[in-house]
Amino acid sequence: MLDNILSILIFFPAVAGIFGFMIHKDSMRAYGVSVATIEFALSLWLWYSFDSNVSGMQFMEQLPLVESFGINYLLGVDGISLFIVVLASFFTMIGIASLTDTKNVKNMIITLLMLQMTMVGVFVALDAILFYVFWELSLVPMLYIIGAWGGPLRIYASVKFFLYTFAGSLVMLVGMLFMAYFYYQATGVWSFAILDWYRLILPESFQLWLFGAFFIGFAIKVPMFPFHTWLPYAHGQAPTIGSVILAAILLKMGTYAFIRFSLPLFPDASTFFMFPIAIIAIIMIVYTAMVAYAQEDVKQVVAYSSVSHMGVIILGTFALNVEGITGSIFLMIAHGVVSGALFLLVGVIYDRRHTKMMSEFGGLASVMPRYATIFGLMLMASVGMPLTINFVGEFLSLLGFYQQSHILTLLAGTAIIVGAIYMLAAYKKMFFGEVTNEKNKNLPDVSKRELVALIPLSIITIWLGVYPKPVLEPINNSVESIVQLMHDKSITQEAKSRIPNLVQERATSAEEAN
Amino acid sequence: MEIYLYLALFSPFVGSMFAALFGASPRTMIAGIVPSLLLFVSFVSSTILLQHILAGGEVVHVEMMTWMETGNLYIPFGFVVDQISVTMMMVVTLVSTIVHVYAIGYMDHDKAFNRFFAWLSAFVFSMMILVMSDNFAGLFIGWEGVGLCSWALIGFWYHKESATWAANEAFIMNRIADLGMLIGIFLVFWNTGTLQYDGAFAAMQGLDIETLTWIGIFLFIGAMGKSAQFPLHTWLADAMEGPTPVSALIHAATMVTAGVYLVVRSNELYALIPNVGLFIASLGAFVAIFAATMALVNRDIKRVIAYSTLSQLGYMFAAAGLGAYWVALFHLMAHAFFKALLFLGGGNVMHAMSNELDPFKMGALGKTMKGTMIMMTLASVALAGIFPLAGFFSKDLILEVAFIDAHYIIYTVLLLTAGLTAFYSFRIIALIFHGEDRHTALGFHPHEAYKFMLVAMSPLLILAIIAGFMFKMPYFEMVTQLLPATEYHVHSATTYWIMTIGTQLFVMLAIFFAYKKYMAPGIKVPDGTSAMENSFKYKLLINQYYIPYFYEEYLVKPYRELSTVLWKQVDMKVVDATVDGIANMLVSTGENTRTMQSGNLSTMLKWMVTGLVALLSLAVVFGLAVKYLDEIKTCLSSLGV
Repeated sequence: MLDNILSILIFFPAVAGIFGFMIHKDSMRAYGVSVATIEFALSLWLWYSFDSNVSGMQFMEQLPLVESFGINYLLGVDGISLFIVVLASFFTMIGIASLTDTKNVKNMIITLLMLQMTMVGVFVALDAILFYVFWELSLVPMLYIIGAWGGPLRIYASVKFFLYTFAGSLVMLVGMLFMAYFYYQATGVWSFAILDWYRLILPESFQLWLFGAFFIGFAIKVPMFPFHTWLPYAHGQAPTIGSVILAAILLKMGTYAFIRFSLPLFPDASTFFMFPIAIIAIIMIVYTAMVAYAQEDVKQVVAYSSVSHMGVIILGTFALNVEGITGSIFLMIAHGVVSGALFLLVGVIYDRRHTKMMSEFGGLASVMPRYATIFGLMLMASVGMPLTINFVGEFLSLLGFYQQSHILTLLAGTAIIVGAIYMLAAYKKMFFGEVTNEKNKNLPDVSKRELVALIPLSIITIWLGVYPKPVLEPINNSVESIVQLMHDKSITQEAKSRIPNLVQERATSAEEAN
Repeated sequence: MEIYLYLALFSPFVGSMFAALFGASPRTMIAGIVPSLLLFVSFVSSTILLQHILAGGEVVHVEMMTWMETGNLYIPFGFVVDQISVTMMMVVTLVSTIVHVYAIGYMDHDKAFNRFFAWLSAFVFSMMILVMSDNFAGLFIGWEGVGLCSWALIGFWYHKESATWAANEAFIMNRIADLGMLIGIFLVFWNTGTLQYDGAFAAMQGLDIETLTWIGIFLFIGAMGKSAQFPLHTWLADAMEGPTPVSALIHAATMVTAGVYLVVRSNELYALIPNVGLFIASLGAFVAIFAATMALVNRDIKRVIAYSTLSQLGYMFAAAGLGAYWVALFHLMAHAFFKALLFLGGGNVMHAMSNELDPFKMGALGKTMKGTMIMMTLASVALAGIFPLAGFFSKDLILEVAFIDAHYIIYTVLLLTAGLTAFYSFRIIALIFHGEDRHTALGFHPHEAYKFMLVAMSPLLILAIIAGFMFKMPYFEMVTQLLPATEYHVHSATTYWIMTIGTQLFVMLAIFFAYKKYMAPGIKVPDGTSAMENSFKYKLLINQYYIPYFYEEYLVKPYRELSTVLWKQVDMKVVDATVDGIANMLVSTGENTRTMQSGNLSTMLKWMVTGLVALLSLAVVFGLAVKYLDEIKTCLSSLGV
């Protein structure tokens, strides 16, 4: 069973989802929760059986699909993807468990299970076509979730979300086809396997074009400035569960793809584009933080804050050294946990008041003290308080990039200031002051069902902030092999000097030790 | 000894968690008593560690577990008890134990009594991490931790707009400085390869001056935020919105001295870059006099004491900047005792006066509050630096340091400040406790604080009196095992006596003047009509040199407005509109060209003809181009294409 665990992880929720049509709608919740729990347990089992000392792919599965073009059903997991898979199954579980009263709850749960299939698929696919299939499929359940359960502008928002990301992905697909063609020209064999592509050394000019093609697909997904405007609409209209999954997992597809594709395939182009991308990242950090500060709707604050944090992730990725990339992957997990929790928290108050306008609130700390406490914890995690999960990722990302540029890191470091400004301002507006609005006087505090989701998230937030080692170590090992690969296959002098040579470093430090 | 280290470190944490358990329940005494007892445990453990270090024992150094490890970065949770940290631990645990006990009385009517103790103990825990950590990253944990607790405690009465505003201001302003600190940490890591103090400072000996200067500057920027140095000083006075025990513990005795601690801890770095040191000393001297002038006119006793803290922090930085690290640390310790005492006394007054803070509305409180009066007066005497109280030994030493190192400008500024300090301290003493009774007419009925609060304050009183002459020598011998053991003696005995006696006379004159001016009969509550209040000098000082106004008008407001513009004009009307514009263009192209496919025969024929003509003309153009290819090429190349 362990040999096929990845396939099971992908298709179990899908199959269970199809069977879900046969379940009576009153027992659907229980059914959904049990399926998601089994899935989560399976992902934990995967983590448990994962050998964190191995840097390469594990649990690989292969099944030919289109042999003449080298398209395979090829799966595998390494330290980079492992935790995002665990996170995806975790969020689906607590998402379903804490699902508030929704119309058509049955369809919602089935959609979520389908979404889970695509999410796991994206992160474990090692064949570009397979990756692309899951990547695009993930749009469909999200389209439903926003379009069917969203707010008043839901059709506009869902169509915008779909078309925008879809348009970007098509450019990426063209890039993939070219990549496969170049591989065919170089070796005489067709292959879409990413690991095969890793071995291909392309001239710099080819790399630049292909990097650009992949970049458009990934950048829209992340979303990077100036392609980010679909996100506030999607979050603004999506129901709570949609926002949670979108922020926690779906956005990570873009940043994950940068590390899986762009960096190891095009090390020279990555070095070439490092500074332009870093500048975009800084714009993302500062600009969206300022936009977040101007928002009147608390959900939009969290939505824009996501973009701002994604800027730090991108910056860490393009540090091109072990510290930065490890940090950015850790920050993906951290941002997933924290922004997911924040969207859940916004959902809590929305369920009670059916508004997200901060001006409607004020003084909630005295009415809902537990809610205020958990919100406060997540707020502090979001602004990167040490000993919370976000700090580890943010610190490592910035530390990593500092090796590449002092001044840009200084600018990006303003994240800790601007982040504090919009978050504290939002918290002050919602929780501090006197309760002035009559409707807020008797709001019930968080319920048990809400705590089911919020308490585990709070525990993770602190646990991984204090003791990140179980997650950091496997990530670190896989990242080291990628960085070494990038160094070895890079051809320009610039890239060779920017990307550290770990083997040599180890050797010199061993010599020094002797 | 390790067990005592862990006890000292984690007792406050356990206390905090214990109180937090009662966070949502109604006020219970036990939520205050247990954390106080646990802090006492921490204090006793620190004392045992102090004994151990004093007796010449080994430095206690433990590595609890790994925190972060990736690439070449390795950060453990490591703690060290050496001569510097044990001094800080003693100050922190002693003052916080006293403040905790005091707060049981002070906060006993507050609904959120339990929450208060949870945060207060959490603060002590963060502070202990800050001073005990053996690496820069651990220091940063404590650094941010105290910032968080300070935020929660300044905004403790969160229904007050001014309190939450001050809390956010403090947090954000500290964050600005923390960025500097963070960059300093990155610089240390990439240049020395480690964040452990011992490894990093050892490697710094081999670095070039420019890098070291940058490290020194960025770390000091971090220190400037926590220690509220100009221009990041405005949050400290506003932080007085918090409950008074918080002001005593966090904003006088411990947290604000973290910056001084950082400079003292990094003495090996700053010893290599004397220019940065001189800048620190100059800024310190400037802040000393700058804050003292603002204290002269303020009409809020807590703010006066806050400015006084600011001014004394300036003294500490002056000493540390000039390389007299042990003197800075000594003044830090002495200052913690008498300043905390002063604040707690101020808290008694505030309670007695139903939270009134204007000393002009008090007067003659000495009759009802004898204990508080004696304590605050002695604390002020210590602050003013009168022999033989604590301030004399620590503050006069700083003056001597400046004098001996021949930094006469710094010396003069600090000397003047000493006079101002004495004046403003006794201005409020005289206004509060002496002179005519002005409060009864305003309807106040003051009463003395609980006995046990006064008893709790008494250790501070004793220390404020004896800390100077009792501790100076043993402290010097202990701490100079780690810090440069420069003794500061004025070479000629005559100069020394002239200086010392001169300073004493100057200070006493200032005290006498303050008493005379503010005990005089006929003092009224100022109502903004007197000539003095309308003078430019007074307005400048009471408005804090218009710096908060400047920040509000030229930083906060533009930031807010720019944010709105970025959202409504740029993000919505440019970035998003472009995306929608492209989509609309596609739609309208489709709409407009739809008629081509309508199936109407005559339309189709028209388009067929158009297409034919277009293709034919293209064919002609290409045909000609191929025919005259060579000519075109020469033509183009002559154009330089």
